[in-house]
Amino acid sequence: MYDRILAGILLVLSGLIVWAALQFDVPFQYEPLGPKAFPVILGILLTIFSVRLIIKPDENSWHPTADIMKKLLAGLVLMIVYAALFEGAGFILATFLVGSVFSWLFGETPKRAALFALIMSVISYFLLTLLLQLNVPSGTWWAGVF
Amino acid sequence: MDVFSHLATGFSVAFLPLNLLLVLLGCFIGTLIGSLPGIGPINGVAILLPLAYALGLPPESALILLAGVYYGAEYGGRISSILLNVPGDAGAIMTTLDGYPLSRKGEGGRALALSAISSFAGSMGALLMMVICAPILSQFAVQFGPSEYVWLMIFAFTCLATMVGSRPAKTIVGVLIGLVLATVGIDSGSGVLRFTMGIPNFFDGVDFLVVVIGMFAISEIFVLLESWARNDLGVRPLGKSFVTVADLLAVKWVVFRSTVMGFLIGVLPGTGASIASAVAYGTEKRFAEGKNEHFGEGDIRGLAAPEASNNASAVGAMVPMLTLGIPGSGTTAILLGALMMFNITPGPLLFEQRPDIAWGLIASMFVGNIALLVMNLPMIGLFVRLLSIRQAYLVPVIAMLTFVGIYSIHGDSFDLFFMVLLGVVGFLLRKLHFSLAPVILGLVLGEVLEVNLRRALSISGGDWSVLLDGPITYVMAIATVVAVVAPSLMRSIKMRKLLAKANEVED
Repeated sequence: MYDRILAGILLVLSGLIVWAALQFDVPFQYEPLGPKAFPVILGILLTIFSVRLIIKPDENSWHPTADIMKKLLAGLVLMIVYAALFEGAGFILATFLVGSVFSWLFGETPKRAALFALIMSVISYFLLTLLLQLNVPSGTWWAGVF
Repeated sequence: MDVFSHLATGFSVAFLPLNLLLVLLGCFIGTLIGSLPGIGPINGVAILLPLAYALGLPPESALILLAGVYYGAEYGGRISSILLNVPGDAGAIMTTLDGYPLSRKGEGGRALALSAISSFAGSMGALLMMVICAPILSQFAVQFGPSEYVWLMIFAFTCLATMVGSRPAKTIVGVLIGLVLATVGIDSGSGVLRFTMGIPNFFDGVDFLVVVIGMFAISEIFVLLESWARNDLGVRPLGKSFVTVADLLAVKWVVFRSTVMGFLIGVLPGTGASIASAVAYGTEKRFAEGKNEHFGEGDIRGLAAPEASNNASAVGAMVPMLTLGIPGSGTTAILLGALMMFNITPGPLLFEQRPDIAWGLIASMFVGNIALLVMNLPMIGLFVRLLSIRQAYLVPVIAMLTFVGIYSIHGDSFDLFFMVLLGVVGFLLRKLHFSLAPVILGLVLGEVLEVNLRRALSISGGDWSVLLDGPITYVMAIATVVAVVAPSLMRSIKMRKLLAKANEVED
């Protein structure tokens, strides 16, 4: 069933690819093939194999329970929050918050998860900035405050 | 001899203090990553790649580090296979079959030592074959024109489709997704913007690193979330046992055969360690039939064969990557992408134009494997203790490293969101039994394939018959047909079941 849904999405996508590729506005072209042909070929192949998957899908072997779905969604939300906080709130705060929830999700007690995340975020901030000299955000929201 | 002067060049690069340090670091991290269940070599290399890039390492040093992680992980994968019955990476699945029974008998120390030595022998044997084969192959490949390259890639994708993953159609869909992703951005031939959806971040293409990290590392976090409860397994005590000379003599021919097989399978484009170890295990099992065999109950031959083979295939997979620019496995596809990020195009000319990179890497692998043998014999206790790191501490560190790594490339939050999105896509694809290695292979080879196809047709003025012109193209067309037919022959010789098992956890 999931196979068919995915193949359906891919089928729509391959149609879009071919359509979009044919719309490319090519002002000049030095070679016979040009920028359109390759995407069109890919789109056609993708159509063929998507149809094949729709006709003959695999037995569905993934049966996530409600509990697992909750965990997965929590993980997804957590990572989106991390991405949103990363630049604004800065590495230390974002990593502390997200790291402690992650640690808690994997079965650690809240107190110890927070302690671990705090130590991890502070130590790795200094390791990454001082030792490896990476571009680690210190937080644009606090730029005016300090 | 030419080879010796080349090797001398290589060792002069590998023995630079920085590179020596990096090879040791890479091997250590590799063993660690390989031994932690779930986090295979692909994830290790993917997580470290942006860091290596952001650190501003020279290309040969970055490659030495990342390759160290790759073959180091092939050593590490066996530790959790033997002690936990959980393969540390895909190449180590076969190791569980005879490794775990041995440790249950209290012979964990013997199994670990024997497999370390088999791994070492496999790697070294394959390295020697690589030193001989690689220059010959690259000299041969210099004659390749655009048509030959197009065939080479079609051959690679065919091998992938018929041997990797649960179903050929799914593997091809994976390849196509990768190829389509590769077309995003400004077309180098005409300057036309393709599939950018008006988003400026896509104008110079979908960032390779974001795709790799998203698809592998982020989707791995979801997989760990789904399955973390399973990991509360007790580590079996090592026991006092150690490998004996008699053990080694008993498996010497097993190791030799498995090394040769592993190397050859590794060289084949697209087929990696999981298939190499499955084939070696299956072959040795049939060889041993009737000769006092206890395969599956702790036979040392069944332990030595997959370990020698998966290490040999990791080395073998480097050969087509360095000489042809076609990766032999998912992880080498990432190494290839890493080289491209440094504006180095691997291919037949690499050995002539940048011998420091090609031979430096080969020389570093000799050093690395000796270091790995030391790490895996006397220092094995350390890694065994690290096995019990709780995921509650591991996952936050993985998440942090991926975010820092991706952010440090462009300093743009857009990449982070895109990475998470790709992680969700990667996770869903994995759950539906699509393997992700084909996607990465398609992404890495997409541009090369298109450029060569367009070049071939420019030469012929638009005549497609240019693709079947000259003896090399005929041979490759035949090889492609063989790659389609061969697996159904394999099915008849009972290898099918093992291959299917190897494909459950993809490369």
